[in-house]
Amino acid sequence: MKIAWTFTLAVVTAAVVMIPTRLFAHHSFAAEFDASKCRDFTGTLTKIEWTNPHGFFHVDVKDADGTVHNWSFQTYALITLRRAGTSLELFKQNIGKEVWVRGCEAKNGRPFYAAAGSLKFASDGVLRQMGQLQD
Amino acid sequence: MSARIQPGVLCGAAVALLCAYVVVVYGQGGGAAAAQNRTTEYAIKVMPPGGPPPRLPDGHVDLSGHWLPNSAGQGVSGRDGVDPAARRQFDPRATPEEKPAFQPWAEAKIKAMTPVELELSKSSVNCMPRGLPAIWLQNPYSTVIVHTPTMMAQLYEVLNNWRLVYTDGRPVPKDPEPWFHGTSTTHWEGDTLVVNSFGFDERTYVMPTGWFHSDAMKVTERYTRPSKNYLIVQITVDDPKVLAKPWRSAARRWTLGNGEVYEFYCTNNHELDELGKLKEQESYGK
Repeated sequence: MKIAWTFTLAVVTAAVVMIPTRLFAHHSFAAEFDASKCRDFTGTLTKIEWTNPHGFFHVDVKDADGTVHNWSFQTYALITLRRAGTSLELFKQNIGKEVWVRGCEAKNGRPFYAAAGSLKFASDGVLRQMGQLQD
Repeated sequence: MSARIQPGVLCGAAVALLCAYVVVVYGQGGGAAAAQNRTTEYAIKVMPPGGPPPRLPDGHVDLSGHWLPNSAGQGVSGRDGVDPAARRQFDPRATPEEKPAFQPWAEAKIKAMTPVELELSKSSVNCMPRGLPAIWLQNPYSTVIVHTPTMMAQLYEVLNNWRLVYTDGRPVPKDPEPWFHGTSTTHWEGDTLVVNSFGFDERTYVMPTGWFHSDAMKVTERYTRPSKNYLIVQITVDDPKVLAKPWRSAARRWTLGNGEVYEFYCTNNHELDELGKLKEQESYGK
């Protein structure tokens, strides 16, 4: 019994310690995007909007039934992308090429709109952080 | 039965995981050996002090520099291999930051905000100027300071905002028009530049927690540069209409960078529309 209590205490303490870094990781993720609707997307990069307060890149993604939808993915502010080594030029070089994205869908039900967490261009296979998801 | 994991083993694993997490996330625990490991393990480390601070021709400490809100002297968000201690502006265990003591009506007003209303109040979402003191408390981007014996210019990357703080002792109006950065007077206390400001635009928030302020808010900034690579900014907020007592921030570290300063005009903000739709859905749900 004592061991069970100690175990419970350890788990609860771990949860409490971990919660703040998750909740305060990003200013708007939890309010705007649905952490229960995060998944991997693979498709063709079609467009980049190099703007603030967020960038957006667009990807043609094929559904299971073969229908193609153009998804819009929100990124960090450009300052953060640039300081992390991700440039506009990199996106431009990959337009029309394959890209993998981990993203979470919008809470308000807007279709084909998501926050991007990480991205890999097939051209170099480097994992790049695009935003901070809480999935 | 023999394949079942014993509760004691689970308990030990949980405690070990917890300890590992605390060491990794909260950084500076773990003793000298762990500290030594960190210095070799992380690509982005805590910046060294860098020698004595530069001085202005009048002998005061020169606060000029390109300052980043962390302990690394470079960007840390969205990057791997960063020492957790280098991500921070202060160590909450060493210098915990007190919680603001709100008056009951102010506390009730904040608690009544819905999650979407809270989100919409944030300058990082609505693109309103952060203003003082939020520009020093909730700003993840860099600030360039140009300091002369008579003036300190603060050039903020975020929203391309800027502020001039005159240090030449010029008189200020008793009842100034409300500005996002207020109206300021300054004096030196040894090597600390003290800036007292009042007369604020009431549309800003002190923290992105719904902490609003009144027209009676007064802000004191204390700037020190203990060494070349470190700027320390400590903020005190006195708002007798909202707070039960003045609030003191931790002494927050900013470190000297040599990278580029970027433009940041807020021109493509989808968040207001998207959160607006959520607010409508929230209203229907009531």
